Amino acid sequence: MFDRRLVYHFDWVLLLTVLLLAGVGIVNLYSATTNWPQGATPIYLKQAIWLGSGLLIAALVCLFDYRHLQYLAVHAYLVGIGLLVVVAFHGRATMGATRWINLGFINIQPSEAIKVAIILLFARLLSKISVPQGFAIKDLWRPAFWLLVPTLLILKQPDLGTTVMVVLIALTMLVFAGLQRATIIWLAILALVTGALGWFGLHEYQRVRIRTFLNPEADPLGSGYHIIQSKIAVGSGGFFGKGFLEGSQSQLSFLPERHTDFAFSVFAEEWGFIGCLLLLLLYLFLIAWGLYIARRASDPFGLFLAIGVTAMFFWHIVVNLAMVIGLLPVVGVPLPLFSYGGTSMVTMMIGVGLLMNVSMRRFMF
Amino acid sequence: MAPEAGQIRIRIFGVLFILAFCVVAVRAYQLQVVEAPELQARADQQRHHVIKLAPRRGTIVDRNGSPLAVSLEVDSLYADPVLIQDPAATAKKLAPLLKTPQSELIRSLSAEGRRFVWLQRMMDPEVADAVRQLRIPGLAFVSERKRYYPQSAIGAHVVGFTGLDPRGLEGIELEYDRLLQGEPELLVSTKDARGRGLASAEAPIQGGASGHNLQLTLDRSLQYIAEKELARVVRESEAIGGTLVMLEPASGRILALASWPDFNPNLAGRYKADERRNRAICDVYEPGSTFKPFLLAGVLEEGLMTPEQTVYCEQGRYSVGGSVVRDHRKFGDLTLLEMLKFSSNIGFVKLGKKLERDRYYRYLQSFGFGSKTGVDFPGEVAGLIRPSSRWFEIDLAAISFGQGISVTPLQMAAAIAVIANGGLLMEPYLVETVRDADHQVVRRRLPEVRHRVISEKTAAQVRQMMVAVTEEGGTGVRGAVPGFQVAGKTGTAQKVDTVTGGYSIDKRIASFIGFVPAENPALVIAVTVDEPQGTVYGGQVAAPVFSRVAAQALNHLNILPDSQVTTLPVVSAATEPLPDLAALLPVRTPADGLVMPDFRGMSYRQVLQAMERQGLNLKLTGSGRAVEQYPHAGESIPYGKEAWVRFGA
Repeated sequence: MFDRRLVYHFDWVLLLTVLLLAGVGIVNLYSATTNWPQGATPIYLKQAIWLGSGLLIAALVCLFDYRHLQYLAVHAYLVGIGLLVVVAFHGRATMGATRWINLGFINIQPSEAIKVAIILLFARLLSKISVPQGFAIKDLWRPAFWLLVPTLLILKQPDLGTTVMVVLIALTMLVFAGLQRATIIWLAILALVTGALGWFGLHEYQRVRIRTFLNPEADPLGSGYHIIQSKIAVGSGGFFGKGFLEGSQSQLSFLPERHTDFAFSVFAEEWGFIGCLLLLLLYLFLIAWGLYIARRASDPFGLFLAIGVTAMFFWHIVVNLAMVIGLLPVVGVPLPLFSYGGTSMVTMMIGVGLLMNVSMRRFMF
Repeated sequence: MAPEAGQIRIRIFGVLFILAFCVVAVRAYQLQVVEAPELQARADQQRHHVIKLAPRRGTIVDRNGSPLAVSLEVDSLYADPVLIQDPAATAKKLAPLLKTPQSELIRSLSAEGRRFVWLQRMMDPEVADAVRQLRIPGLAFVSERKRYYPQSAIGAHVVGFTGLDPRGLEGIELEYDRLLQGEPELLVSTKDARGRGLASAEAPIQGGASGHNLQLTLDRSLQYIAEKELARVVRESEAIGGTLVMLEPASGRILALASWPDFNPNLAGRYKADERRNRAICDVYEPGSTFKPFLLAGVLEEGLMTPEQTVYCEQGRYSVGGSVVRDHRKFGDLTLLEMLKFSSNIGFVKLGKKLERDRYYRYLQSFGFGSKTGVDFPGEVAGLIRPSSRWFEIDLAAISFGQGISVTPLQMAAAIAVIANGGLLMEPYLVETVRDADHQVVRRRLPEVRHRVISEKTAAQVRQMMVAVTEEGGTGVRGAVPGFQVAGKTGTAQKVDTVTGGYSIDKRIASFIGFVPAENPALVIAVTVDEPQGTVYGGQVAAPVFSRVAAQALNHLNILPDSQVTTLPVVSAATEPLPDLAALLPVRTPADGLVMPDFRGMSYRQVLQAMERQGLNLKLTGSGRAVEQYPHAGESIPYGKEAWVRFGA
């Protein structure tokens, strides 16, 4: 099972890119939390531990040939659904939403894990079916069903951000697999209708967020606070930034959620436009490398797997950044490898492990 | 899916992903480059917590540089609640010193999420010292400035006073508030989102500009003389009030301006508005006979009569417009000079008829009545002369002897100055120069002629007639100043009874107005005494005040007598017993056995602080460090002697 070629084909570029991003992220977390009360393990150290754990899990994921994983896809999916159901009934509530399961020593967020399960499941599904003309709308009932169950469960928590992520990842994979023109039109209509109906189905806080996004200055100390403070932090960084540990908005606690969803604002304030550009390029490189891995995948399952993981990274990065700089409403989406969060780190590292797996085994048939 | 299709789609996706990143990058550029200055400004605004300190308000000095209003550095105490270990214990220690309830202090000292709380602003130096000795971490001082009036009541009605902010509330302080104000210093502390200041105990002070300094036309010594003599006549005649205006007729400079009741501007809040009002500028009265020189000037200017011509004065009883006008004595034919000297109402009623109401009205307007003098003082009133078209015969008659119109004491002084200076109406003023914080002159006031009222010849004629008033046999003989020729006019006006609307039977305003020396006038002095008891005549009540004030003022100004008449013993301002005035001041009467502290070596400011603390009224001369004082340290300050401190290099 353990092949010499695995070592030979080990994807150092992927590993280094990921380590570089996570490293910058940890340094940034150090700055974001310097003025936090002393005592418990510092956030940046915890994140480093999560990174280490993530690397171990990624290595574990690499051990088995990804092709064996497709048989586990359904199991993983079912376990994920099971956990979501448990959350729905026995979850731990924080800030008005029930997203966590307390395992005693650790809190886990099943909605993160389901992303990987969906990627695996869809990769398996799409690689099995061959539709040269693309999917017709009637071909989509099965993937739609697989998608709808976890989506509704997450939406109920409520966690709009993760819901959107799951849907976007799945849709990207579907679009990549190919859709008939009629299907695209149908999906567009469906999206509009859901959007319209969804507005009424949204929780009040979610509606406020969207309204706030459209006009944040209407309530600068209330619902508009996050977005305004984030813009001020990012903008006041200017071209060259204020320097490491010098970001006044971040250091002086004006910036909320600065170790999680708004970690990028801290970075942008302290490193300026130059820093942002470099970080963006690094992320873009990761995405491009993901596509490169997909291109070189040795089989359709590997291709779809790589596409799915890349889509996961892409959407998280773009939606988080767009939110932080005021291009999208505030939805809770972490920046991969950058925002603090154990489950998110582990999920992304599983993704990295899958990419690595596909990359390493590109010559094995 | 065909492998080629996969390759193409990967490329398409790649392009789309890059586009998405470009959108993000463009937006980052917009925020961090295009909008950066604006967003940086917002960040600064959020971050800085600014506490305004009282600005360095400009000083007000008299024309010789004696300070009338100064800003003293005093300590303000604040706390940084984060550094206060034990709010309760700290409050317990502070409460008796600050005279603030403990509960209030505990609340301030344990204020959540704040790092700057005022505990007491502008505190007494000894309280500040006592707090300093406690050495409690988390308490700190910042230097602020408090308005202090070293001369106490002297000149109070002119200088006015400020509130605690300190903004001018009355007088020159109000009129020139914008110039005096200066820009407040800012205590800037950085704060975080919860409003916690991040500055250490000593926060930086930024900005701030001193206000401009004013030099008044007022002369502290003349002002002191005026106030002292006014206080004396009010006390002796048991009057309810009075005013004294002294101005330089050639320029319109106001040298002294007293108003009774007086007040201590250091404790302005304890006085009623009525006591703080400058009655010489803000109150009107009916002038009575002191008004007669203006009618006389009109008649002479128009050439209707010569000084030698006579008028029949009807033996003291004259019917006009259905009323009877009386003289205090029966007169027959009187020359114009005699009419003024004896103050014949009937004679002047006839002069009024001669001048006719429209012309008379124009002359009164020309002398400045019925309109503001334009003095640089807030709240001036114009007085009232009804238009001549509405004068009936009796009105013309009444106005001819100064009843039925209302004027301010300052208007009277300015109008008499026209006769004194040869016919010009000058705009009276109080502020001579405005200097900036570096003592550079920003604005210098020049005397301003409003217009010519009468010819020099007419002025000289009226002047000579007014001299007769203070000579043997005249009504104002008590206004005479030994050694000098005095031109003057007495007045005993009836007051309007506010209840009946008619003239009161017994309430009078005794007044005297005049100038000295008559031929080359240096001073115009107008005295009014409101409701004197017993003797009510201007010639008996007000004229002696004129005489005493003029004598002392001329001596102070080193104006030599114009004839070799024996000079009466005149007391100068410098040797005048101070407690005389102090005893009249309603506050801070020196207690028996007040002991003179040792001021030697102290700075001017320290001495002023000590004066305020101990309620001393000292004469301060020179500048630098205190080198000499009287009485000596430890000696009691005796009545009848002025205590002084001299400063030198």
